[in-house]
Amino acid sequence: MLLKNVQEWTLLLLIFGLIAAIGNWIGYSVFPVAALPGMAVLIVICLAGLILQHVLPVNIPSVAYIGIIGILVSMPVMPGSEYIVKWTENINILALATPILAYAGIAIGRSWTDFVKLGWRSVVVAMFVMVGTFLGSALIAEVVLRMQKII
Amino acid sequence: MTELKGIWKDWRLHLLVFGIVALTEWIGVFQFTVGPGVILLLPMLYAMLIGLGLFFTPVIKKAQALNAEPLIVLGVTLLIAKIGVIIGPSLPKLIEAGPALLLQEFGNLGTIFIALPIAVLLGLKRESIGMTHSVAREPNVGLIVDKYGFNSPEGRGVMAIYIFGTVFGAVFMGVISGFLATITPLHPLSFAMASGIGSGSMMAAASGSLVAAFPAFSDDIIAFAGASNLLSLSTGLYMSIFIGLPLTEKMYQLMTREKPSQSRVRKGA
Repeated sequence: MLLKNVQEWTLLLLIFGLIAAIGNWIGYSVFPVAALPGMAVLIVICLAGLILQHVLPVNIPSVAYIGIIGILVSMPVMPGSEYIVKWTENINILALATPILAYAGIAIGRSWTDFVKLGWRSVVVAMFVMVGTFLGSALIAEVVLRMQKII
Repeated sequence: MTELKGIWKDWRLHLLVFGIVALTEWIGVFQFTVGPGVILLLPMLYAMLIGLGLFFTPVIKKAQALNAEPLIVLGVTLLIAKIGVIIGPSLPKLIEAGPALLLQEFGNLGTIFIALPIAVLLGLKRESIGMTHSVAREPNVGLIVDKYGFNSPEGRGVMAIYIFGTVFGAVFMGVISGFLATITPLHPLSFAMASGIGSGSMMAAASGSLVAAFPAFSDDIIAFAGASNLLSLSTGLYMSIFIGLPLTEKMYQLMTREKPSQSRVRKGA
């Protein structure tokens, strides 16, 4: 069961990685061969996190493992971290985000019927909800960062 | 994420996404000024809108829309891995900024002070509690449905914001983050922390616009946004349970002068 999942995850991550690498080439001028080691590192980190989530009995989302593994392997104290950092620098984060949102656009078409049923008042409130949380957090961050003289 | 069968074989889906990505990255970032601010349109925003548009053409069948979902999840894992390897080297900087990172989580309550009055002014009743107690991602929907029921006004409210966020959250955040960061005197790093609101795609869009507007800070922006998003994911629910929701209820009662006992009587009647 796990083996089958790992196989499927690997194939899908490779497809996604290939699409992102081409986007990375067209949009950010990184030749795919130069992006290869970085993409491979990221895929291995993802697989490690997905497998850990599957194997360990605790119920923690796989992205938490993946984030922590990514941080651990790139910390300066970790031997070889300079290669991880150097290779992954070639993968522009925006090049990863574009295919995510392309897939998301196709998937959320299914929510469209629900969306058009929302009244205009809901849409107005929703925009203020997002602006509210964004500005609220930014204001607090600004005050604390200035008090600490970081910015 | 446990039952994935043969989605890699859906070549129609992957080729379409490949085409969308190639096209949108080729178009590149488009920006224009509105007064003193800058609005940035990133390739990811066109990509989402093109994907959504294709859903209504015969090119996309229901199978593709369903198969796309696990790829969003896997794509987000790659994004998180990338954020991880950016955070690693800047960990000392993040620890130094720890107090700001932790405290800005309380800024998520900004929805209550800004959006709740608007909702009440627009004449919304108890829907406004579900709508404005948080930014309405999955854990918050769960909380409201658990507490008030799916078919309650509060439940309908939280679902409305959830649906808007799902469909247009990333596009909206991408547009306003660059605009607000260029129009206000606040520092891009403050907005970077604010970008982590607990949704991977919204965080990517908001911090992406910041990176495009302030390329000099690019790694710090991603590290701060990513760390803040992880914090929001892990604290968001508790923030709503212990502070957000009770505060929204109180503010709502103050604004509508509705006594808590009255509402209970009405519900019983």
